[in-house]
Amino acid sequence: MLPQKLKIWKMHLKLYRTRILIILAVLLLIAASIWGMMSLESFYRNQTLAMMPLQLIMVALNAVIFVYMYLRLFNTSWGSATKNMRMKSDLVNVKWSDVIGMEAAKIEAWEVVQLIKDRAKVKQIGGKIVKGLLMLGPPGCGKTYLAKAIATEASVPFLSMAASEFVEMFVGVGASRVRQLFKKARELASGYGGCIVFIDELDAIGRNRTFSQFGGQETNSTQNQLLVQIDGLQAKEENVIIIGATNAPENSLDPALLRPGRFDRKIYIDKPNLEEREKIFEYYFAKVKYEKSLDIKRLARKAVYKTPADIENIVKESALIAARDNKEEVEFKHVSEAIERIEMGLKHRRTLVPKERELIAFHEAGHAVVLYLLHPTKDVFKASIIGRREALGVVHENPREEWFTQSKEALLADIKTSLAGYVAEKIKSGTTSSGVSSDFKQAMAIAHTMVWSLGMSNVGIVGDYELYGGQAHMFELAESMKEKLNKETQDILQKCLKDVDDLLKKEWKITEHIAKELLAKEELEYDEIDAIFKDYGKLQTQS
Amino acid sequence: MRMGRFSLLLVSCTLGLVLFTTGCGPTYPKEKFKESIIRLCKKEYKIDVKVKAVGKTVAIYLPLTNLLDFTFALTPEAGEKINQVILNVTRVILSTDAKYDFYCVMAHDVRIPEIQIVIIKSVEDVRRFLLGDISRGEYGKRMLIDMRIAPQAQKERAVRDVFDRMNIDKKWQEGVMQDFFMSDPTTLGDMGYWDGKFYIKDINITEFLAEEIASRIKLSFRDSMELNSSLILKSAKGVYVTSDPANAGSKYFRIEISAEPRTVEAFTSKSVSDGLFAYALKTSYDVIHGYRFEDFDYVEIKSLIDGRSSKVLRKDLDNYKPKKTKIEDVMIFDAF
Repeated sequence: MLPQKLKIWKMHLKLYRTRILIILAVLLLIAASIWGMMSLESFYRNQTLAMMPLQLIMVALNAVIFVYMYLRLFNTSWGSATKNMRMKSDLVNVKWSDVIGMEAAKIEAWEVVQLIKDRAKVKQIGGKIVKGLLMLGPPGCGKTYLAKAIATEASVPFLSMAASEFVEMFVGVGASRVRQLFKKARELASGYGGCIVFIDELDAIGRNRTFSQFGGQETNSTQNQLLVQIDGLQAKEENVIIIGATNAPENSLDPALLRPGRFDRKIYIDKPNLEEREKIFEYYFAKVKYEKSLDIKRLARKAVYKTPADIENIVKESALIAARDNKEEVEFKHVSEAIERIEMGLKHRRTLVPKERELIAFHEAGHAVVLYLLHPTKDVFKASIIGRREALGVVHENPREEWFTQSKEALLADIKTSLAGYVAEKIKSGTTSSGVSSDFKQAMAIAHTMVWSLGMSNVGIVGDYELYGGQAHMFELAESMKEKLNKETQDILQKCLKDVDDLLKKEWKITEHIAKELLAKEELEYDEIDAIFKDYGKLQTQS
Repeated sequence: MRMGRFSLLLVSCTLGLVLFTTGCGPTYPKEKFKESIIRLCKKEYKIDVKVKAVGKTVAIYLPLTNLLDFTFALTPEAGEKINQVILNVTRVILSTDAKYDFYCVMAHDVRIPEIQIVIIKSVEDVRRFLLGDISRGEYGKRMLIDMRIAPQAQKERAVRDVFDRMNIDKKWQEGVMQDFFMSDPTTLGDMGYWDGKFYIKDINITEFLAEEIASRIKLSFRDSMELNSSLILKSAKGVYVTSDPANAGSKYFRIEISAEPRTVEAFTSKSVSDGLFAYALKTSYDVIHGYRFEDFDYVEIKSLIDGRSSKVLRKDLDNYKPKKTKIEDVMIFDAF
């Protein structure tokens, strides 16, 4: 019996040794303080005691100042970041009908709304209780918007935090904030019958955990706490739904987050298709005055690969440009300028010597001719010899439709379009300029990928040789193979160069015409370019 | 939650410490007050002292063997011992529950017991000095230090001289002497230790202030070239007068100064005489206001050389520094 008790005592000593040591140290310090005070004569003792409250205040003040300075210095905080995060559903105020351009995602999300609204019913029929909803997709596609709409529709409080707000330099602060967030969510859920926790940019705490001694512990502990809290939601059967949003690839998130029972429902919110873009344009144009003749279908076609946020930005920018032009309604040219401004940046006029200006005009004309005549999937949106950012001129291209893959022909057309500026300069002046630098980079990169990764060489080389590109595996790829691949890359470039050379020489009159028009007008819209080609009886290549 | 508990524990410990230590009481309880001084002096400095208390005044007698050198200056060893005793008395008097306002250290040379050094200090001054409320210089000025022939010795010598001339029997002489010297001193100047007996009185703040004014004037004559160049100070004495029938029961400080002019010009110069009055009144202001003492109607300065006197009413004196009133403008002179 006695040895057993001793064992238990030993165990307690081991278990609580740190606590025991701290208590002993505190007791020792108190005893030392009492002994010290007792050894003082009463006058000095009273004097010391009289100073004590002031000293405590001073110490507290110093601590506050120190902590404040420290936090300011490292731009961080101890405090609760969750204090002001709560929004009531009526304050979120994003109606279900306001969510447009993501019909498939809306259908998925509606289930979540139903679940929050009538949880008991779902349970009754044996339906699976969804705890976490993960929204994936490119930025600006409306993930946050959809989350807010879910909150509005479900009429429950909405707690929104960006995952980066959990991350602090102090280990444990993030985890503590996660606990606070879920505690608050549970409290709200008990009062309002449900609560939505929305964590934006989830990848900040949700990426694959690292198990290294050199850092990452804070992110790990925050994520661990998040996992524990989500599990806790299941255990306690509270009506709290967690919605995460990220534009990072799914495989960059920790598998533990994605396993069933956590973020088990995933909604992919992609860029809108033509029909959806049309609806989005209509939605945003309804908020501004625009010319009735404005062809929204055409705009939707022009805005391929644009996100809802891009489209909203285009409409707002168009309205600003129209206001600056003293117009009461937004016209097509305003939208065109807005797209151009967003895509290419603001115009930056430089004073160029006539010869250089002429060279630039021919360079851009070369791009325009090849793009117009050879490219199977892209249109010329605009050609310009007005400087933007670092560029002295630009031919802005526009995809005709959404293509999620690219054909060999399209890639070759991209290479040819890139090389066209170089060829045009050479034909016009017998020499070339440094303006081809970025064109060559682009052409080279495409040709390299075609040969090394996509099996698009003309000699039948197949396989992804980029896998050997890593530093550790470099030696495994034979030099002869590398030579072969590089030669094939160069062959593609040379073949494209020859094709472009032949084409531009053949269509030199059109090239000259466009160049002259550019020198005269500085910018040419698609319609003007199209008209020139039609004058020469040329038709655009169709895919 | 853990932080909360820890904070609670910390606050409890601090409070406990405060309550525990404040509940311990004084280091030197009043029942053992005298013994504490004697024990401390003996234990820490091997000095034997005697202690006697009267009212709120405590006197410490310190016998020394080499108090003065042949030039009648205080020897460094004696000075050190006096300081050690003062230090111990200060420690005890500040850490006791006995209520004392003044203490008086009397040191005399056992070889020439007639000569003694008497140091009187206010306990409040010591406390204020240690708490940094007054400066070291000011603290020094607030001490009354006097080297004197014991008044009791002077009296005894004079009486014995008379007895001897009258051929009175020695036995009878001793009896008369005992009776004669049984009476307690009435002024600070009469305090001393003579023939194994303390002659002390319970000092009150008014007489202490009056003496301090006089003491400061003496110090000024020692340090100030301006005063010294035209006047020679013979004596300065301060008293606090209450219920003076000649002044309708007024309460006032009277400072009597005997300062002889050094030159004929100084003797005839009214400005020199007025300057002395003004200086004495300014000193009075510093002392009285330094102790925030208010129970007086005026301060009178009397010159024993020419019999002139000047006074300043309390309200005028109060305005001296706050309203920058010129003392010279508010002095009221008695008829010459």
